[in-house]
Amino acid sequence: MNATVEATPKQFTAKGRQSHTRKPINWWRIASYLILALFAVIYLGPLLMLVNTALKTLPEFMKNAVAPPTSFQFQNFIDAWNKANFSKYLVNSILYTVVATSLYVFTAVFAAFPISRGYVKWAGFFLMLFVIALFLPVALIPQFQLILNLGLYNTQIGYMLLFLVNPIGIIILVNFIKTVPRELDEAAALDGCGYFRFVVSIVFPLIKPAIATITVLHAIGIWNEIILPTIYLSNQNFYPITRGLIVFQGVYGSDWPTLAAAVLLLALPMIILFLFLQRYIISGMTAGAVKG
Amino acid sequence: MSYYFGRGNSKWIPYLLLFPGLLFYLVISLGPSIATFLYSFTDATGIQGAQMNWLGLENYREFLFMGQASRDNYSALGRTLIFCFFVTTIQFSLGLLLALLLNQGLKGTKFFRTIIFMPVILGAVVQGLIWSLFLYPLGGPMARVLEIIGLESEFFGGQPAEAFAWVIVVQIWANVGITMVIFIAGLQTISAEMYEAAKIDGANGWQVFRNVTWPLLTPSINTNLLLCVIGSLQAWALFLVLLGYRNGTQVLGYLIFAQGFGQTSGSVTSSFRQGYAASASIVLFFLVLIIGVTLQTILRRREEQIIG
Repeated sequence: MNATVEATPKQFTAKGRQSHTRKPINWWRIASYLILALFAVIYLGPLLMLVNTALKTLPEFMKNAVAPPTSFQFQNFIDAWNKANFSKYLVNSILYTVVATSLYVFTAVFAAFPISRGYVKWAGFFLMLFVIALFLPVALIPQFQLILNLGLYNTQIGYMLLFLVNPIGIIILVNFIKTVPRELDEAAALDGCGYFRFVVSIVFPLIKPAIATITVLHAIGIWNEIILPTIYLSNQNFYPITRGLIVFQGVYGSDWPTLAAAVLLLALPMIILFLFLQRYIISGMTAGAVKG
Repeated sequence: MSYYFGRGNSKWIPYLLLFPGLLFYLVISLGPSIATFLYSFTDATGIQGAQMNWLGLENYREFLFMGQASRDNYSALGRTLIFCFFVTTIQFSLGLLLALLLNQGLKGTKFFRTIIFMPVILGAVVQGLIWSLFLYPLGGPMARVLEIIGLESEFFGGQPAEAFAWVIVVQIWANVGITMVIFIAGLQTISAEMYEAAKIDGANGWQVFRNVTWPLLTPSINTNLLLCVIGSLQAWALFLVLLGYRNGTQVLGYLIFAQGFGQTSGSVTSSFRQGYAASASIVLFFLVLIIGVTLQTILRRREEQIIG
């Protein structure tokens, strides 16, 4: 490092580890907290506004949008549930997410394991096939033509088919499986364990962190998807909760208290999931990002 | 590689079990992706059983060189680039700043990281509606703040340029968490000894950042730049949720959707012109490719300079 020695009245700008040196007032630390506090306002403000609005009556909201509620109104949640047909949308969302995610994860492990181990010929080629998707044009139009011509437009099966694919998940799995020692395969085979049973009862438990990562990643993607239901589902009875909410907004756009309650119903499962599984979610997002 | 699980026919079991995953991928993702090129030369519609004709380059001619329509397309293209520029520069800088702030072992680090990352998992619908409410023009929180400094705004209902700017804000708010955690991961790979050495040499904070942190952060810098650029060139879900199809605000991604799947809300009504939409997808693809490859080349050259 080519730094020259400086007399140091300005050292308060020093970052990081230097903050532990004893100084009367650590200005950098104070500045850090001020900036972070500002961000906390920007991030929590909109969320608090949402919760605040969801607990108010419509007249209250019209009179003063930002004032805290005078009495807590859980009626909004009940209204949203009934008016927005939310119970049905919620069931749909759960169905799509659970079915498509489990099918995807199961097939993904069986695709990733032999590729990672080289148990199939052209393993490198297969892997490249999955990587290449990240660079190709969006498949929107031909995908639609495919589903349409299969007669699956506006069906739940057709919609779920779209979510059986996620190349980033395969790449995460291939890399993670490399950390499972190969000797295990040999030992299990010597003991007479078959391939299928080996993958299901030995590999699955050993790669749990990677499976957790791709599961939450994929499930979040399906749960939050708005573009595909807009394109593929025209029957209200098939709407997932995201699409239902947008339609609801179109009809009851000015009834913000009910709308806010509905948004909370959509967001809460994700927020709870996030608070518990933060580690897997962040590692999945960053792993996916690095590959992208 | 040697395969341990049986001989003869049982050697095919891995292939058999690999097949479903591969098939889904080829049929639902890779195949359609490549077929986009073919569709872009046709007049395909979204109507089942309708006849499809080969048009050659007609769609591209119309998209790029035909009167008002192509002028609209060029404005959408321009907006895509503007969106990309602002989102990338701001999201990148804020992400880096936040990562530096949260890498000092301050109290509350986990709390701040959690709330800043949270919007990432909420998805476009929740992100969009939360901000629609926050920007509620009749006495919402932001309107109150603006009132104090004597400004007024209709937010998403206002001028196209203003609405567009707010989408940029929401896009950054929603995604800066990803940039931040990638930078944090990068910062954590830099060993404490490097900082110690710099300190012993008497480097001040800025010098430490300039000569230690920044060069050693190169992998995360490259990842984040590419991710921001490519992501923002293709992003449009927030436009859908926040604005709908509005003149003066569309980006290319939205244009593809609107042309291909019909969008009657707003002032523009379009049909199911899927061949045309496919050609728009290809234009977007080449835009992403050209910008992505150029950026990649620049970043690689820079990396070589730093190492060399």
